[in-house]
Amino acid sequence: MEEEKKEGQKQASPVPVEQERTRNRKTYVPKVDIYEKKDAMVLLADMPGVDEKSVDVTLDKNVLTIRGTVEPKVCKEHSIYYSEYDVGDYERAFTITNEIDRNRIEAHVKNGVLKLTLPKAEEAKVKKIAVSVS
Amino acid sequence: MAIRDLLPSIWRKDATPVRREEEAPFYTIQQEMNRMFDDFFKGFDVAPFRDSHEPFFGAIHPAVDIRENGKEIVVTAELPGLEEKDFEVLIADDALTIKGEKKETKEDKGKGYYHTERSYGYFSRVIPLPPGIDPQAVDAKYKKGILTVKLPKAEEAKSKAKRISINPE
Repeated sequence: MEEEKKEGQKQASPVPVEQERTRNRKTYVPKVDIYEKKDAMVLLADMPGVDEKSVDVTLDKNVLTIRGTVEPKVCKEHSIYYSEYDVGDYERAFTITNEIDRNRIEAHVKNGVLKLTLPKAEEAKVKKIAVSVS
Repeated sequence: MAIRDLLPSIWRKDATPVRREEEAPFYTIQQEMNRMFDDFFKGFDVAPFRDSHEPFFGAIHPAVDIRENGKEIVVTAELPGLEEKDFEVLIADDALTIKGEKKETKEDKGKGYYHTERSYGYFSRVIPLPPGIDPQAVDAKYKKGILTVKLPKAEEAKSKAKRISINPE
């Protein structure tokens, strides 16, 4: 039976993970919000524990992959009294269309949230066609 | 009444309570039965570490870890996407309260809204504390989406276990 899912907590990725992994770590699927602005798509991913050095965004053909590495907590000095979360890597892939301008994708990490700005390609933007008088 | 009396004690030495959302499904039937009973009775009581005065529905529930050593107690919570000013960390004699609100970014999202999974809203967690925390020395940091609150133990609490020498008669 599945545990009750609480709002605002990360979820482990389904088992088995589709790819073979070279590291024996837990993987989480970051929760994302995707929305469309006038000239870009914006993707926000909750990845607590990552910073700009430990996040990796790759675009291979049509697949945009975000990966975040979180080093396991070192607790030599402290003993755990109560634990609700575990740390692990984050991984999620998205398929993008040709409507995205691949050369201008921007990524920022702030307070554990990855923000990807995917600008729309020129040809995908809404164009107004002038109606000429015949 | 002290908040500690109302909440299940987490300061027992015999077992480390670990609660993970993704825990193995087939643990034991006994475990599952216990959980069902706990869930049933929890409704009449307060959920662990939740501030009962605050609204619950629509709120987010950040995951919390608590670790301890002889000198301090360290509470960490996973809360991505907030600013320092969104937090309120309160310390009373017997409880630490972490509350705040995760606000949606105010950006023009237009009409073409696609997909939303992240949660926003109010959160509040109350963590009962053992006696002997020095409230003046409590230190909170927010980095990489993780809130860390360090609660140093006061001098008298550190030296509570006083060694009594046994004198020969």
